[in-house]
Amino acid sequence: MKRLSIFVAITFIIGLSSLNVYAQDTLKLGIPLPLTGTNAKFGEIEKKSYEIAKDEINAMGGIKGKKVVLEFEDSQGKPEVARSIVERLIDVKKQPVVFGEYSSSCSKAIAAVAEERKVPYLVVTGATDDITQQGYKYVFRMNPTNAYYATGFMSFLNTVVKPKTIAILYESSDFGTSGAEDMVHQAKKAGMQVLLKEQYEKGAVDFRPILSKVKSVRPDVIYMVSYVMDAALLMRQIKELRIDAKLYAGGAAGFAIPEFVQNAKEASELVMTATLWSPQIAYPGAKEFAEKYKRLYKDYPSYHGAEAYSALYIIKDVLTRAKSWKANDIRAAFKATNLTTAFGPIRFEDKAGYTNQNFMDTLVMQVIKGKHQTIWPQKYASAQYVYPIPKWRERR
Amino acid sequence: MPELELFLQTLIAGFLLGGLYGLIALGMALIMGVMRVINLAHGDFMMIAMYIAYWLFTLFEIDPYLSVFVAAPALFLFGLAIQKYLLTPVMKVESILPHNLVILTVGLAMVFSNLATVFFTGDYRSTPVSYASNAWYLTDYWPDSPIELSLSMPWTLSFVIAVIITIALWIFLTKTDTGKSIRATSQDHDAALLMGVNVNRVRMVTFGIGMILVAAAGCLFIPIYYLYPALGRQFTNVGFVITVIGGMGSTDGAIIGGLILGIFESMTATYIGMGWAPAGRFAIFVAALVFLPGGVASILRKRRLGK
Repeated sequence: MKRLSIFVAITFIIGLSSLNVYAQDTLKLGIPLPLTGTNAKFGEIEKKSYEIAKDEINAMGGIKGKKVVLEFEDSQGKPEVARSIVERLIDVKKQPVVFGEYSSSCSKAIAAVAEERKVPYLVVTGATDDITQQGYKYVFRMNPTNAYYATGFMSFLNTVVKPKTIAILYESSDFGTSGAEDMVHQAKKAGMQVLLKEQYEKGAVDFRPILSKVKSVRPDVIYMVSYVMDAALLMRQIKELRIDAKLYAGGAAGFAIPEFVQNAKEASELVMTATLWSPQIAYPGAKEFAEKYKRLYKDYPSYHGAEAYSALYIIKDVLTRAKSWKANDIRAAFKATNLTTAFGPIRFEDKAGYTNQNFMDTLVMQVIKGKHQTIWPQKYASAQYVYPIPKWRERR
Repeated sequence: MPELELFLQTLIAGFLLGGLYGLIALGMALIMGVMRVINLAHGDFMMIAMYIAYWLFTLFEIDPYLSVFVAAPALFLFGLAIQKYLLTPVMKVESILPHNLVILTVGLAMVFSNLATVFFTGDYRSTPVSYASNAWYLTDYWPDSPIELSLSMPWTLSFVIAVIITIALWIFLTKTDTGKSIRATSQDHDAALLMGVNVNRVRMVTFGIGMILVAAAGCLFIPIYYLYPALGRQFTNVGFVITVIGGMGSTDGAIIGGLILGIFESMTATYIGMGWAPAGRFAIFVAALVFLPGGVASILRKRRLGK
């Protein structure tokens, strides 16, 4: 009986200690993401990308020798749910650092909690400007904000094209309206005259009337904010009406994905679009990530994927450099970040009214020979831009 | 001159669009005339035809225009089956609600678009044919022309085929016995019955022909547009508005109504703003109901009687 109890005690102790060892060797990180609801598609892309990064990091020996385990928590895209998830992560699970979430509204809710509890939070995709404009000390953002989204495109316009006039077409939705408003603002700042700003009903069959109007005002630049099928129809009908502008450009979304080229065919040739990231971008690791993602999930990831993938590398970098895993040391390590990820260079700066914001070049892509190529800024270009653009009549 | 160019280009666009709209409404008007029912699944039948054309193009590289010959018979048979096993039984049921059939078509529309989402996912699809953005240009034929006008090749092709189909239908309705019995049933259901017309058979055939027309419309639309499961509603709306403008159940009215709506939409887009197109569509719909309850058909009838 006595022997048995000793035996039990020993196994218990061994069990405990092995449990302990296990606990020391893993680092559990909870990530709030919208896995159901309307943003689920993006949540899914990010989840897959986090997992790719996790497997790579674990294969390289984890973070400070600890194996990374990710626990995804469904926020349903609701700020109050995201908030309670993060409260639990901080208060109950004592997670030293928080990161993730997709939408701006959820990121904003989490940022408030993190600041209050003094736990560093890394914003991965939320783009609304004011998240990093509140002077939060513990909130860091890796992605460029809305206001900086078109900077790459504008710099291309100002350096290469030097246009005087612009026509803006956009779909009548939140996304279209805000994109168009932003462009009006940017164009005025660059000294361009907005000749036409027209909205259209998403899913329209015939854009010829509105395009004929564009043709009659002869703008230098035609800028469109559209989802993919409208984008393809617009370009097809622009080609057909032979509307010659110096530049045809799209505000990301529909213009930046391969389906645009597949549907618009040769009408998509030489069309440009602003974007944050592309699978052929010359950042180290970007191509490898894109190819790996494609191999696993049969499709190239959007920039959201690259953001999530790189976020985990930033966390790894910060936790490796931090003197201890106390909030203030982690915060200091965040501040000192100087890292180039697959998403781009990451440094958290305080400037222009922002705190702990990463400023990076946004990109311009152009369809060249039926493929999206990064053309601007030139240091990241995967191909030389084609400009001036030949008139439709002279093509082929 | 730019004003003239803008006006003419808008007019051309409206005319081409109107012709295609007319074809969609034609099937709807025919069914409404004979069966006294608004087929609110019309656009969804069109969606089915478009998926047939899409898969034939994607899997076998069959040109969407040629797939009319597959989609039309397929939808004809499908229409007969729907008519026999769903519409006729419901028609026989006595109920407090006189609009059982309409409700049934709404249900069918939902079932079709949801099934399409299940089978084909919600992805947008299109048939990128090689001539998708080809066009004829005025300045190519008349180099000194002061204005430049263009005529899209696939749009014109679709329009011409729509016209041919319409003429074929007209010949069928006026020259053949079946056609005549369809018109008779449409004009007076009871009288036709007394004259020995097999009204039930006529109903079935009419529904089938309506399906052929909408299948053709689908195949004509896919080269110039795209496809997704919920696309039906949009074209059901268009068909419905045109049928009201044209005069319920009148085939001539449907064609004229289609042209009116097409040109009206294009003009709204050019001179008021494209965001107003849907509002304009329903303004003209309400105006037609209030000021011209019999639609275009009532004007046509008056002129004929006046003679």
